[in-house]
Amino acid sequence: MLYLQILANGLMLGGLYACIGAGFSLVWGVLNVINILHGSFIVLGGYLAFYAYSVAGIHPFFSLLIAAPVFFALGYIVQSGLVNRMIGAPVLLTLTLTFGLDLMLSNGMLAAFTADFKKVSLDPPLGAVLAGPVVLPVDRLIAMVLALALVGLLYLTLSRSRIGRAIVAVRMDREAAALMGVRVKTVYAITFGLGALMAGVSGPLLAMIFPISPLSGSAYLSKAFVVCVLGGLGSVPGALVGGLALGLAESFGSLWLGPEHATTLSFVLLILILLVRPEGLLGRKGYA
Amino acid sequence: MRRSAYIAAAIFALVALVPLAGEMYWLRLGTIMLMYSILAMSWNFIGGMAGYPSFASAAFFGLGAYAGAVSQKLAMPMVLAWGIAGLASLLFAALLGLALLRLRGHYFAIASLVVAEVLRELVNSATDLTGGGMGLNLPVPRMASVQAQAVFFYYAMLILAAVTLAAMILTTHSKLGFGLRCIKQNESAADMLGVNTTFYKVSGFMLSGVFVGFAGAIYASWVHYIEPPDVFDVLYSIKPVVMVLLGGLGSVFGPLLGAGLYLSLEELVWRRFLEVHTGVLGLLIVLLVVFLPRGLIALRRAPGAAQEKPLSRVKA
Amino acid sequence: MLKNRLPLTPLAALALTWGAAFWNVAQAQDTIRIGAPLPITGPLSPEATKLQNGINLWVETANKAGGIKVGNKRMKVEVLAVDYQSNTPRAVQAAEKLITEDKVNFLFSPMGSGATKAASSVSEKYQVPTIAATASSEQVYDQGYKFLFGTFTPNQTLTEPLADLVQKQAPGVQRIAILARNDLFPLAIAQEMEKSAKSRNMKVVYSEKYAIGALDHASALSQIKALAPHWIFATGYINDLILIKKQMADLRIDAPVVTMIAGPAYKEFVDALGKGAENVTSAAWWHPAVRYKGSDLFGTTENFNKLFRAKYGRDPDYGEASSAVAGAVLQLAIEKAGTTDRKAVREALANMKVTTFFGPIEFGPTGQVHSLQPPVFQIQNGTQVVILPEAIKQGSLRLGVK
Repeated sequence: MLYLQILANGLMLGGLYACIGAGFSLVWGVLNVINILHGSFIVLGGYLAFYAYSVAGIHPFFSLLIAAPVFFALGYIVQSGLVNRMIGAPVLLTLTLTFGLDLMLSNGMLAAFTADFKKVSLDPPLGAVLAGPVVLPVDRLIAMVLALALVGLLYLTLSRSRIGRAIVAVRMDREAAALMGVRVKTVYAITFGLGALMAGVSGPLLAMIFPISPLSGSAYLSKAFVVCVLGGLGSVPGALVGGLALGLAESFGSLWLGPEHATTLSFVLLILILLVRPEGLLGRKGYA
Repeated sequence: MRRSAYIAAAIFALVALVPLAGEMYWLRLGTIMLMYSILAMSWNFIGGMAGYPSFASAAFFGLGAYAGAVSQKLAMPMVLAWGIAGLASLLFAALLGLALLRLRGHYFAIASLVVAEVLRELVNSATDLTGGGMGLNLPVPRMASVQAQAVFFYYAMLILAAVTLAAMILTTHSKLGFGLRCIKQNESAADMLGVNTTFYKVSGFMLSGVFVGFAGAIYASWVHYIEPPDVFDVLYSIKPVVMVLLGGLGSVFGPLLGAGLYLSLEELVWRRFLEVHTGVLGLLIVLLVVFLPRGLIALRRAPGAAQEKPLSRVKA
Repeated sequence: MLKNRLPLTPLAALALTWGAAFWNVAQAQDTIRIGAPLPITGPLSPEATKLQNGINLWVETANKAGGIKVGNKRMKVEVLAVDYQSNTPRAVQAAEKLITEDKVNFLFSPMGSGATKAASSVSEKYQVPTIAATASSEQVYDQGYKFLFGTFTPNQTLTEPLADLVQKQAPGVQRIAILARNDLFPLAIAQEMEKSAKSRNMKVVYSEKYAIGALDHASALSQIKALAPHWIFATGYINDLILIKKQMADLRIDAPVVTMIAGPAYKEFVDALGKGAENVTSAAWWHPAVRYKGSDLFGTTENFNKLFRAKYGRDPDYGEASSAVAGAVLQLAIEKAGTTDRKAVREALANMKVTTFFGPIEFGPTGQVHSLQPPVFQIQNGTQVVILPEAIKQGSLRLGVK
């Protein structure tokens, strides 16, 4: 039953994509900043997990707990130190700024870790389980579950906590939120921090399944773009839908068009959605 | 306008004399600088003047390179192949512009960036026509000597750069230029006032594509061998933006200045800082954007002079 | 109206940076200088390390013996490495810079078929003898160039013996699935494999390419699994192949024969996969187990292995041996010509017929070597075991890969 296997592959991949996209989408939706650093943050998180595992034997699942606060702090500092100066500047400048920062981080990682691909090879390997005719590699399965859990956590934070609601308020209407007493600059910094956090925790999950290299950052970033646009900016449920949609599209696209076209397909989807329904599947018009 | 024309002619004359020095490496570098100037000036049409952050340069460059290369493979003479490439880019820009220029801000930026990726993969798969991942070899032009060949390509780029500069100057002082600047200031208002925004935007976009495509074709003939990841490299979309920011957004000579300075920095860094050159480039970009968003040209403006336009715009 | 005065401060900045960038140092001319554009940074950097290992060993060994004999004096040899960041246009630029500015006498090609082909037009233009240590595809040598020489035999010299072996020793293998990286060498060799398989009446049930940099092969592999082939043939660079094999294991794919080119030749492949590498077959242009008695500075294969082990602590792989023999062959040509004159050395290379530690070296009319017999090997019990050619085989083909 090839189709079932492809479906399963797509869903597992989709969960991971949702996690990658959620943080990116949040930052874009709330700050109106495209954070090119997102991809490199993911890779950095991956390296964190790799070294934690090879040097200290810490399992990647636990590296998540270390990555979360580290990246939150990193994002907070980057935002309040640099990106904050550019809020309100034209799209071009903020995009170029984060691009420049990304070049620096990427080169730094290259110099520090070299371009050799590193892989977290779990010992003993987790193997796979069989669900009928479908083979489910355990590492992907667990990574998907954790990814979805993280996305869920993010959603809960946004909808239940005070700071979460402040973030949503700023996203809907910055001036009104400011008038209501929300400290916009702080909210921006926290949101960027959250975005970085989501990237940083995606790293260990991805590192278990794919090899890490400073050069894979841009591939993850492209996925994040597509997830955002598909799902709608700033919307976490949107990121979920976008992620799953992308995973399925790539999986089936690879089957029907050949593996070399899988990524192209995702880009074509991106352009189509931009032309037809720019606010995304779950987004709302006017909030971007 | 007369003043611009005189300055342009002077620069042109100076640059045309470089081959007389005879040093091969300078010739190569000079050719690259001219190519960068073409990319930067072209971007200025849509990004600097109209305010649409386009990242489509790589798409046009790669398209032009492959159009020219494939034409040459099909036994067409070199210069005709270049013309075909320019035409192909012009048409592609028109179609793409009509499709994408409805989008604003970030969406336009992303879409334009992604187009290059899509084109690259399409070229990659058309293995029979383009060689796909195995690259495409171009016939080496028969010329008197190595030196003659280098000089030929230098002048080819120079002429193209001169044409682009002329187009830039003419546009700036024409109705099209005025229309583009109106669109940059406030597109909705311009629309309401009767400016045919679609026509102007698409024209600007076409201008931003045609010379780049031509340059891509010349580049392909110059290096005799192209591969999709090289000519569709995203850096061909990013570097022109950085160059124009460096030199001064929207000004006529800013892109030239930016291209020259950028290339010097790139060469300097590549030679001396082997390991960290991209990082240094990144640092340069960050410093530029934070401290000099209006580019180096702004350093010359008298402190009290009226700004062309405010830096942050009313969000649409 | 816009003010368009030429700003002077920026122009001064321009002048200064140009000056700084082009400050050249005068060079000494009594060493033989060889240019080597290498992908020291970027995705191909692991390969650059291998090239450098071989080259450096050669330089060290040659200089320790007093240098290369040129006529009746000895000249030391120096290799200038320049990073081209795994970017082909930069490789071409680096080659030109080495020739025109650094005034090197000879050149080693950059890494891989694509960049080698691109840079070869520069060396042909300037008539600089260039030795390619890592380019095997015939497409690289099809431009009629006279100054390019390659130490790898064409791709079909790998696929033909392999297909022969499988056909003879595993006649039940009828269906083959091919997955290739969309890049010059991996794609070219996959196409050769397809030809070799078809000419033996095997059915090619799957033949697809994956994009450079692809990280997820689950879909392609799921399709392959559904087709139940007897032989899975995958090409790419070491990182791709490690990933593919791992994902094959994840999806519980097994087949009688699994061949991968060009990862299994490297120790890193076995280290990364552990048991997963068992029984994977591969072919390469050289293997430390071959035994040749050469007239080059290394002499026998055992001696080369010994020197390599002394310097690097492990056995050499074919990439490292190839870059070393590129240097050794160049040395032989210079010594035969008695001069460093490029045309004379070129003639010596074209007419060369010697045995080296790497194997018999004779360059064909296109500049590619055509005298080697590439070994086929298989990973058995965690080590590489040569199973072809018969003369030096250490073991037999084992079937069944999990």
